Amino acid sequence: MKSAVSIRNLTKDFSVGMRGLKLRAVDDVSIEMPSGQVFGLLGPNGCGKSTTLKIALGLVKQTSGTTSILGDEAASTEARRRTGYLPEAPYFHRFLTGRELVRYCARLSGVSEERLDEAVGRALDLAAMSAAADRAVGTYSKGMLQRIGLAQAVVHDPELVILDEPTAGVDPVGSAAIGGMIAEMRRQGRTVVLCSHLLGQVEQVCDRIAIMDRGRVVLQGAVDEVLTGRDRHLIEVSALTPAAEAAAREAIARAGAVVVGVSRPRRTLEELFRELVTGSKDA
Amino acid sequence: MDSLRRTCWIARITFLEAVRQRLFSFLLLLGAALAGSSVAFRFLNFGHGELKFVADFGFGIMFLFGSLLAVVMTAQLLYAELDNRTALTLLAKPVSRSEFLLGKFFGVWSVLGVFIVLLCSILAGVLLTRAAELTPLAEAAGRVPPSVDAAGLALFALLQWVRLGIIAALTLFLAAGARTFLFSVVAGMLAVLGGQLQWLAQDLLAKPDVGVVQRSLAWFATRAVPNLQQFNIGDALVLESAGAPAGAAASALLAGSLHLLAFLFLACALFRRREI
Repeated sequence: MKSAVSIRNLTKDFSVGMRGLKLRAVDDVSIEMPSGQVFGLLGPNGCGKSTTLKIALGLVKQTSGTTSILGDEAASTEARRRTGYLPEAPYFHRFLTGRELVRYCARLSGVSEERLDEAVGRALDLAAMSAAADRAVGTYSKGMLQRIGLAQAVVHDPELVILDEPTAGVDPVGSAAIGGMIAEMRRQGRTVVLCSHLLGQVEQVCDRIAIMDRGRVVLQGAVDEVLTGRDRHLIEVSALTPAAEAAAREAIARAGAVVVGVSRPRRTLEELFRELVTGSKDA
Repeated sequence: MDSLRRTCWIARITFLEAVRQRLFSFLLLLGAALAGSSVAFRFLNFGHGELKFVADFGFGIMFLFGSLLAVVMTAQLLYAELDNRTALTLLAKPVSRSEFLLGKFFGVWSVLGVFIVLLCSILAGVLLTRAAELTPLAEAAGRVPPSVDAAGLALFALLQWVRLGIIAALTLFLAAGARTFLFSVVAGMLAVLGGQLQWLAQDLLAKPDVGVVQRSLAWFATRAVPNLQQFNIGDALVLESAGAPAGAAASALLAGSLHLLAFLFLACALFRRREI
């Protein structure tokens, strides 16, 4: 499988304080992120996720190891031309309108003047920001800032989109909308790298994940593989009477399997919230 | 060509951001008010001619407020991009660090150009009006009537723009390597002071009985520190019919441009190593 992002034996040490003590933020990390998939990079705060992504984008220099994006050296201009990036908690020039901001980013990303209007319109549509595009960025809510950030990241039609905490500070409805946009990007054939703390959403939209802790990768693989590794199965039944339950247990035991427990499945709070709240002003 | 276009776009946005800053509005309005009302302060002329006082007053305001603006605005606009993480968004695009930094510089320099042009226009208005009022009085008294050279004032404005460009480039160099905004501003202001006193090193270098260490330090200072005093030829350019010594303006422009380019080059080299 062709890799969109290839990280090999990446290590990053930061110097701390006057005496230059070394703090290892990323420790011998190797990850392959396949093309055309959504890859989730998970881990607690300070585990090295953002630093790894910044190294991949050439914003921070690694201590050792190699990183490549779409076959090019990660920090190269060519690699960045084919990559879109939404930083964590993005902040943009408040005096620009959303459309002006996306046009500015499109120009910096090399979109030609002939294609500019079409590219900006398409990116605003994808981020569901067309209606608010002519308002100043300073008037946007957090969710709208994330979405305009998404629009500037994809305006030049990149093959790879890196999203660092795109749902941070966004309400569940807005998060679901961003999840939908990520799914749409995958449908369009883009590779998406997603850093997020919303594990439920990562599980829904990601094909593969890597979990980092204290600068190291502690687990990586396809979502289905890593989550179904245990020898457990779930049968969902409605209108289960005590008699039906007893019969089912007996049948299962006869077949040589063991019923470990019977419980009523719960909805998650997020599912309940999304079921009850159909939309918010800035969703 | 693409690189130039990207630099221009960053400069444009920097310009738009800079003209919205309160510091710019405040210093521009205060400078314009002081330059416009400079005739009212002529009783402080210390025995000099009235027009010379008005011109010196305007030139002083231009340099003082312009330097303050160049140092604070340059550092602030760079740190705002770094602290607010807009730099992350821009540098993740196919924009080189040099393009980013040069875009910031040209944006600031454009604002400084607007500042200089506006203040020089006001000063020209005041000087020409006052010269027209004083001419009949001087003729009646049998004295040589005062004159104001508008072309000389335009050349002076260009020299001041280059001088403020050097200060902005120097501050950008300091800010590119510094950790804090405050350090950049303090170091930038000290560098302006050093530039104003650079002639001391030139004097020291000219003395024959100076030790090797002192001579070496003076030699280094005369090369590394820009001589900001060499741009103070406003009186000669604007008020004296003979004008400035031949080649003084050209020499200042050439030396200033070299310093400006050198500081920009050093700023880009330093910023390339910086972790964003």
